[in-house]
Amino acid sequence: MHSLPWIILFAPLLAAAGITLFTLRNPARSALLSVSAVAVAFVLSVVAFLVFPAPSAPVELSGVWLAVGSLQVEFGVRLDPLSLVMLLIVTGVGGVIHVYSCGYMRGDRGTGRYFACLSFFTFSMLLVVLATNFLQLFIGWELVGLSSYLLIGFWYERESAAEACKKAFLTNRLGDVGFLLGIILVWATLGSLHFGELAAVLETTPGALGAVASLAGLLVFCGAMGKSAQFPLHVWLPDAMEGPTPVSALIHAATMVAAGVYLLCRVFFLLEATPAWPDAAPAWLDGITALGVVGWIGGVTALLAALIAVQQDDIKRILAYSTLSQLGYMMMAVGLSAPVPAMFHLATHAFFKALLFLGAGAVIVSLHHEQNIWRMGGLHARMPATAWTFLIATLALCGVPPFSGFFSKDAILAAALDPARGSGGLFLVGVAVAFLTAFYMTRLVLVTFQGTPRSAPASEAVETSPVMKWPLVVLAVPAALAGFWSIDRFLDRHFHPAAAAPASGWFEQWVAPLVHAPLAVLLSLVAVGLGFYTAYLLYRGAATDPLPAKLGLLARGMRAKFYLDELNAWCIRLTHDALARLADWIDRWIIAGVMVRGTHGTTELVGRALRLVQSGNLQTYVLVVVLGIAAVLWLALGPRP
Amino acid sequence: MTAGLEHYLGVSALLFGLGLVGVLLRGNLILMYLSLELMLNAASLALVAFDRFNGTRNGQILVFFIITVAAAEVAVGLALLVALYRKRQTAQVEDLTGMKL
Amino acid sequence: MPLLTTIIVLPLAAALLVALVPRDLRFGIRLVALAATLADLILATVLFLQFDPGTAGYQCVHRVPWVSALGIEYHVGVDGVNVGLVLLAAVVAFAAACASWEIRSREKEFYLLLLIMAGGVLGAFASLDLVFFYGFHELALVPTFIMIGVWGRGEEREYATFKITLYLTLGALLALVGLLALYLQLPAGDRTFDVERLTAYFQAHPMSEAAQQWIFPVLMFGFGILVSLWPFHTWAPPAYSAAPTPTAMLHAGVLKKFGLYGLIRIAVPLMPEGAQRWLPVLAALCLGNLLHVGWVAMRQENLNRLFANSSVAHMGFAFLGIASLTQIGLAGAVVVMVAHGFLAALMFGLGGHLWQQTRTLEMNDLGGLLRQAPFLGTATIMAMLAGCGLPGFANFAGEVLVLFGASKTVTLASPHTWVALAAWAGLVIGAVYMLRAVRRIFHGPLAGHSAGVPDMSGWRRVPFVLLLGALMVFGCFPRGLTDNLQLPAALIVAPAAPRAPALAATPAAPGSPPAAMPRSSAMP
Repeated sequence: MHSLPWIILFAPLLAAAGITLFTLRNPARSALLSVSAVAVAFVLSVVAFLVFPAPSAPVELSGVWLAVGSLQVEFGVRLDPLSLVMLLIVTGVGGVIHVYSCGYMRGDRGTGRYFACLSFFTFSMLLVVLATNFLQLFIGWELVGLSSYLLIGFWYERESAAEACKKAFLTNRLGDVGFLLGIILVWATLGSLHFGELAAVLETTPGALGAVASLAGLLVFCGAMGKSAQFPLHVWLPDAMEGPTPVSALIHAATMVAAGVYLLCRVFFLLEATPAWPDAAPAWLDGITALGVVGWIGGVTALLAALIAVQQDDIKRILAYSTLSQLGYMMMAVGLSAPVPAMFHLATHAFFKALLFLGAGAVIVSLHHEQNIWRMGGLHARMPATAWTFLIATLALCGVPPFSGFFSKDAILAAALDPARGSGGLFLVGVAVAFLTAFYMTRLVLVTFQGTPRSAPASEAVETSPVMKWPLVVLAVPAALAGFWSIDRFLDRHFHPAAAAPASGWFEQWVAPLVHAPLAVLLSLVAVGLGFYTAYLLYRGAATDPLPAKLGLLARGMRAKFYLDELNAWCIRLTHDALARLADWIDRWIIAGVMVRGTHGTTELVGRALRLVQSGNLQTYVLVVVLGIAAVLWLALGPRP
Repeated sequence: MTAGLEHYLGVSALLFGLGLVGVLLRGNLILMYLSLELMLNAASLALVAFDRFNGTRNGQILVFFIITVAAAEVAVGLALLVALYRKRQTAQVEDLTGMKL
Repeated sequence: MPLLTTIIVLPLAAALLVALVPRDLRFGIRLVALAATLADLILATVLFLQFDPGTAGYQCVHRVPWVSALGIEYHVGVDGVNVGLVLLAAVVAFAAACASWEIRSREKEFYLLLLIMAGGVLGAFASLDLVFFYGFHELALVPTFIMIGVWGRGEEREYATFKITLYLTLGALLALVGLLALYLQLPAGDRTFDVERLTAYFQAHPMSEAAQQWIFPVLMFGFGILVSLWPFHTWAPPAYSAAPTPTAMLHAGVLKKFGLYGLIRIAVPLMPEGAQRWLPVLAALCLGNLLHVGWVAMRQENLNRLFANSSVAHMGFAFLGIASLTQIGLAGAVVVMVAHGFLAALMFGLGGHLWQQTRTLEMNDLGGLLRQAPFLGTATIMAMLAGCGLPGFANFAGEVLVLFGASKTVTLASPHTWVALAAWAGLVIGAVYMLRAVRRIFHGPLAGHSAGVPDMSGWRRVPFVLLLGALMVFGCFPRGLTDNLQLPAALIVAPAAPRAPALAATPAAPGSPPAAMPRSSAMP
């Protein structure tokens, strides 16, 4: 049991190292190494899940990584319900995607490098999941960002991929600064970095963080904003689709982007601490709590991304914006003090969104890297397995019962209606997003799979190879059924260890949402139905998008992603680039120019003046010497006053 | 009338002054050189005179050194002068201002 | 001969040997240099491994009396602070000797100077006597100037040589004035240059406040100029882009750290009051390094100039660590010094190799190199990522320690501002210029001068693998450095500590808590 988590953690790292050092030029062996590492990790995770002691005392193993004075950082692994769920998702979904990658990357000359990066990503993600303390989590956090950078830029010779990976890394870095400052603030205040200790302290004294409570919570949330691509740091995620599609599925849909949500659930005790601002802070901050900000940022992201998704034409970009929108949902749940539904939705989302991306990848490969949905169509007949699994995932995403997404999404909406912590505004946002989700997903499915083929590759497409087909089928199972696996009640053990929910049969589980919050269920189902219906009316058999003509300016805004990229570029030009220009100018003209060259110039001027004395005539020199001696003698021997 | 210290020193000062004027005013390097030797000899004369009237021997030893070094100096200096003359075809100090910056 | 003395003497003896080898025997000259530095590397590793972090005071001490009338003796020894620096110097010296293959003219003189520089820098870090401390530094510094002037490259070579010579001579002179003033503070009978005795004396009889107030800034600016403290940094970019590769590696990697070492070893522990008064000034100036030079680096079009500016910017972290006057910050500063030493050597080594292949380092002329030269590309990208503080490389450990330390600093009015700005500089500005360079040089389609560049092969990879390995070993196991630093760092900041509560009690900045709350559970 004691070596178990260590093996889970380090198996992928060993695979990455092994591939880099030995089998970089051998695609088959690299794939084998990578897949077996993640398989080992998955099997051991299942074992860990099964032997995990029933009442939830976390299992922790650690050693000291860094210790100076009062700063002590451990390197360890922590197994509790929260990390176990993530462990299973990362290794399970990850494993399926590893297998799928073997088919997707066939023939690419960088396959060895691809699998090395993929294994390295798995390691870093596990580091985030299993971390026992803030700094260890931050290390994993940065390494996850690195592997994402390497994989987005996998085809780095393409200008667009090279730009995208740079953008992703830098945007993430912006969030990470806040995260690191939050960590330092927490440490400076409470003197510990360890999650268990901090949670214990804050549980007994919720006001322990004093005046910095809200600030610390928001700073940590900055990290989550970067990695989970929340508004306004969301701009990197759609561009990240430049990476290979399995990477989009694993990193930019199922696991890494969900790490922000995981982080907030992991440090939920911090967000729950008594909100307070420093005395010097402006008065308008008083009513604002960290949780409120988290909720509304999530809500805005969900709505904005869903709106943009409606008018995208690239199959991966639609899914990317859908991911953003769902991540916004999860953030919203965290902000509503409902970490369990957030994690629940994270889990189901990982299944169905990974499935959607893998399906999209299958389509893209069959169509020889065509990504525009308006050049597809009629694929249902030609690729039945892909189409059916895609449909299952779509229904799950839209929240149609009894698919998994229904339960998790409903739990979030129910939390928004909760009289104590809920928020009417966020509930309306949630319902609107449910409508938009159903709308754009119906548009995607109808345009891609129905109708008639609208391009030559689409009319010749065939079902993909088994190594890519079977992962779809495997993932379709949890995408459909994960709602019944009582993930939420397992997670309850972590967040509410006292109030363990009683076990119940599958039927009770099925109707549970109806019993708990009938209004939420009904409204969201109506919204979803409306979404299906409008999209069906608009896009059935359509060959071009009818929406721009109907919506005009709004559609143009959606298509242009509401000009947020341009806005960001403009901001950066105004701030950092301008400052860099200024600093360079100062360095060149003031410091190296006026100051250094000024000193140099003065010295040289004096030298030039003195040079006139230097006539070169020997006798003049002698005369000066004689006069000098005479003067010295006069001073030494002359009359004294 | 016996010659006192002041007479010796007067001769020495006269010699030194002549030498100095020579160095300052004559343009030919050889003549400047001769004037320089004159000044050196004036200094030697003064040393010997002081020595004689103070009853010590140190000054005389110093003079021996001066004579020896002066001989070496003349050898090196004249050789340099000849070499310079061969190169520049002049020994006039006004023409030798190559060290000017 | 004692281990430490052997380490110092070996390169100098090898220099003597090189002087005796005939000029035509290029292979022999090279072999002597490589063998000597390799042996040094092995010995320094042995020294590092057998160092015992648990004992206070100096280890591996060796004393030979020299001019006892003036209190000068040859005295070397290591504690947790300089044991890492000696290892750094030995590793970089070997790497620089390996990278010297690019020198094709007057090889004998070059290797001679390189070995003298290596010996000097090792001696400077190991010496515990101010005369040797300073003398060894000069021994290493003078060859730097000659090497840049004679073997340098580019049109700016002469200007760069002038500039670095004037600046560093000025810095060294200021430091000399400060060190002599320290010596003269002792009563006439007890005067000594011995660091250990000086420290003990001034801890027993604190120096007068007035003396501290002028000697500390003289030392601070003197040492600061040697480390390219803003605004005295403009010598660095032209000098490093003109310097031959091995010289840039040794100077930027190792010799430059002498100033920081001097601050840590001499200025701070001997003059606690001076430190409290003047370190806030240093903290303010280090923002110039971090932010101003960081922004300047963003505008560079030449890879070596980018590396040089980033190297100046990174010194800001070391200065901030020292200025924080905390055990954590000081330990962080030393880790930054070691990590940046490996990194700077790596960067300039790789830049030099690239220059050899393409004869240009202008980013506009390069592009798509990663496909063309995978090893060179990967190593450079790794170096750049280490430069923007990625975990897994030693720089991260150092920078994080500095930030943690700075948040607890007692000399600054609002430490959190400094922490925030430094974190911004390290995480964002650093990442911007490094990733832009990666994007322009290594990513994208193959362009211009990149075509036909051969990848690095065989033994030429050795120095870079070694340096990367060192960065990663200390990045994954920072305790290798920090355990050694626990004790000495606490001792160095201790004299300034008694005043700490008084300062901390003054109204804290917005964002800083009133007091740490009692902990319910102790750390395991």
